[in-house]
Amino acid sequence: MLSCHGEIARWKRELPTSVALAGNPNVGKSSVFNWLTGMGVVTANYPGKTVEVQLATTRFKDEEIGVMDLPGTYAMGSTSEDQWVARRALLDAGPDVVLVVVDATRLERNLFLPLQLLDLGFRVVIALNLVDEAWREGLRIDSARLARLLGVPVVPTVAIRGQGLDRLVEAALREARAGARRPAAPRYGRDVEEAIAALAASLAAEGVARPWGLSPRAVALLLLEEDDEACAWARDLPDGGRILRDAADAAGRIAAGHDEPAAIRIARERHGLAGEIAAKVKTRVHAPSTAQERFWRLTTAPLTGFPLLALVLVGLFATLFWVGDALATLLTAGWEAWVSPGLRAVVHLALGEGAAARSVLWGVDAGVLAALAVGIPYVLTFYLILSVLEDTGYLNAVAFLTDPFMHRLGLHGRAAIPLVAGAGCNVPAIMGTRVLATMRERILASTLVCLMPCSARTAVIAGAVARYVGWGPAVAIYLVVAGLGFGAGWGMNRVLPGRSAGLVMEMFPFRRPSVRAMLRQTWHRFEGFVRVATPVVLVGSFVLGVIYETGLVWAFTVPLRPVVEGWLGLPAVAGLTLMFAVLRKELALQLLLTLAIAQYGAGADDLLRFMDRGQIFTYALVNTLYIPCIATVAVLARELGWRRALLISGFTIALALLAGGVAHRLIALAA
Amino acid sequence: MDAAEVPPALLECLDAVARLEREAPPASRAALAARLGLDEAAAARRLRELEARGLLRTERGGRLRLTAAAERIALRLVRRHRLLERFLTDQLRLPWARVHEEACRLTPVLADDVADALARLLGDPATCPHGNPIPAADGTLTAERGTPLDRLRAGQAGIILRIEREEPGLLRDLAALGLLPQTKVEIEEVAPLGGPLLVRVGSARYALGRDVAARILVREV
Repeated sequence: MLSCHGEIARWKRELPTSVALAGNPNVGKSSVFNWLTGMGVVTANYPGKTVEVQLATTRFKDEEIGVMDLPGTYAMGSTSEDQWVARRALLDAGPDVVLVVVDATRLERNLFLPLQLLDLGFRVVIALNLVDEAWREGLRIDSARLARLLGVPVVPTVAIRGQGLDRLVEAALREARAGARRPAAPRYGRDVEEAIAALAASLAAEGVARPWGLSPRAVALLLLEEDDEACAWARDLPDGGRILRDAADAAGRIAAGHDEPAAIRIARERHGLAGEIAAKVKTRVHAPSTAQERFWRLTTAPLTGFPLLALVLVGLFATLFWVGDALATLLTAGWEAWVSPGLRAVVHLALGEGAAARSVLWGVDAGVLAALAVGIPYVLTFYLILSVLEDTGYLNAVAFLTDPFMHRLGLHGRAAIPLVAGAGCNVPAIMGTRVLATMRERILASTLVCLMPCSARTAVIAGAVARYVGWGPAVAIYLVVAGLGFGAGWGMNRVLPGRSAGLVMEMFPFRRPSVRAMLRQTWHRFEGFVRVATPVVLVGSFVLGVIYETGLVWAFTVPLRPVVEGWLGLPAVAGLTLMFAVLRKELALQLLLTLAIAQYGAGADDLLRFMDRGQIFTYALVNTLYIPCIATVAVLARELGWRRALLISGFTIALALLAGGVAHRLIALAA
Repeated sequence: MDAAEVPPALLECLDAVARLEREAPPASRAALAARLGLDEAAAARRLRELEARGLLRTERGGRLRLTAAAERIALRLVRRHRLLERFLTDQLRLPWARVHEEACRLTPVLADDVADALARLLGDPATCPHGNPIPAADGTLTAERGTPLDRLRAGQAGIILRIEREEPGLLRDLAALGLLPQTKVEIEEVAPLGGPLLVRVGSARYALGRDVAARILVREV
């Protein structure tokens, strides 16, 4: 993981021009970023924060420009994590210009952020995005007048289709080269401005270095807004007490004049100014069409929304399994027909026929095949579906409807999608928990994702339980796992310190997605998955190969015996496969048959020869519950840190052993 | 019973029960212990003392209820607390984010006649700095109480009077979204089973969880 500070400093040092991208969530900021940049995006974190900043370099007319993508935020305060990261990265980087992407259909709310950035003294260029949506809704926006009123360049854009983005970059470059001209600051009410000016003057007279080289006015405003970081800065000054008293004095005057705290007054005036400017630049030529709006409302109205949600979820699962399965079959067949024979020949030629060659083949042949058959088909399909749901805006309706259920687990509606995604593969699902704002929610959601049977574990349930025991017990495994998952979520919500933040989420009606933007986003995410998971799967396969081919695997039989035979009531050989399946979960069954044949002879290719139906059930249950696989552990460690990854893994092992032991005894009682 | 006859530690406990009932009902022993930073055994001891004085009863299911006498005392405590907040903000010019906590500490030890003197000094203010009404010396509430936003049904609208949870973070987050006092909020949808509210503010729409909506007090229009 890259530390943000060092990475940002290097990024800034190496590039002649730097641009930061800011904007509210869901205004098309990532479309601008994806269009501006190609490959080679670097992600940076601040220690202990889950929200990320992305850094990239782009060439525009022979000029190298650094682009920094900030998390989408409604404001630049220091209370919530996304705002803190956005502001800190912006202040640390000190970009030449901040490109603010605003939603033309919601101008009054969106202008709050650029006003705040101007207050902080940044040079701002506005991308007036979604002008096509605004046009369809009957809104015309005078961008030239908007530019005059704000005193900054404004470029209309349709980022999802790349329209206006060349002009946007040109405007940003012009602004970056504009020299020492300071941006015109927005003006608030007279008494507020007077209070700011007085405080700024006394700050300037102090003669102390201001944080991040901000202007006296910016620091004065932050102090009046009782910003935590600005107040902390003042407290540490030798004369901090006096400065804080001055600030409280000025804030008190504003509060007395308006009968509300200065921080709220300033927010109100900033909203007022944004609304005033928006009203001056927009004209409505016709009322917005109500058909789209009515359709959108159907997705949130409970009576129609829940059936629709059920349909979408069923559709999601069905697509995931059918398309994923078809792709998997295709890729497996292709690999076995075209690549595998050649690969085998080469490896055997180089290393002979011995254990070494076979171990290597476990890694490069079976390992790559596993990535092709499990990773790519399901993950790629899932990411594509996710892009569609996200870009149309349906994801918001999902979050809205599932919120009450998620609430019981200490989560809110936005966690529903990663949980569903877990049924395909846990790795992207855990990455998907980034939509959640706090570490607490991410830990809760990631743990629940780990308990979600992925396609690999489903393969074992289907291949062992459904085939040898029956459909009823196979479904029972899902029910048991669901019940345990719900219980675990409920329990963790009570045990973990803190409380989940309430849901406050902007909702927007459907948008017309762009296929290109969706494919791009899908590819971007998929690349991230491949980078994390593939090496782990290949190395895991190789290690498994070495352990198996050298016969080392049998050495674990004796130490495992008390747990496997005594507690779970399974044959020792089954315990071995449970232990090594952590390297490749879907291999548990295959490995079991292979080892059984080695131990009991050729007749053991039928599970029922050496395990009874109850044992098969227990076996699949334990296999489903404990650690998904080492790729999941790797991604957990990357996203949440090693300590939490090991804790979650340990928890799933304990849960699996407990459930397996109890199941074994209940089955014995019933028999 | 008068507040002066109750020791400060019990007043603090009583105040916390009243707040829990207002802000996050039902008030339970565990929630109370968490709020006061006590372990459950210590919280239980204080609750028993309150019960012994006829100020509290525990309903089946563990919900804590103040008796009528305790409600009267609680209102006096609210008055002290909000006057103190006014005093700390207006006179001592303490940062706004700190006054709530400081006032919490001082409330149990402030005598009622001192509170009355404080009110005279401040010119009998009607509301605390967060916009919540200050009860009069006779324990009556004159300012508009307001309806929590989550009591409204789909199709209804209200004007925000104030944000009840005296928590600067939430207040600022809502302020950044334009959910400020005097703003009109229309309810478009209320999700069933305790789900969120879909509200419209100006041209923007937000989903607000029930717990958040319960803190937003509005006047119905």
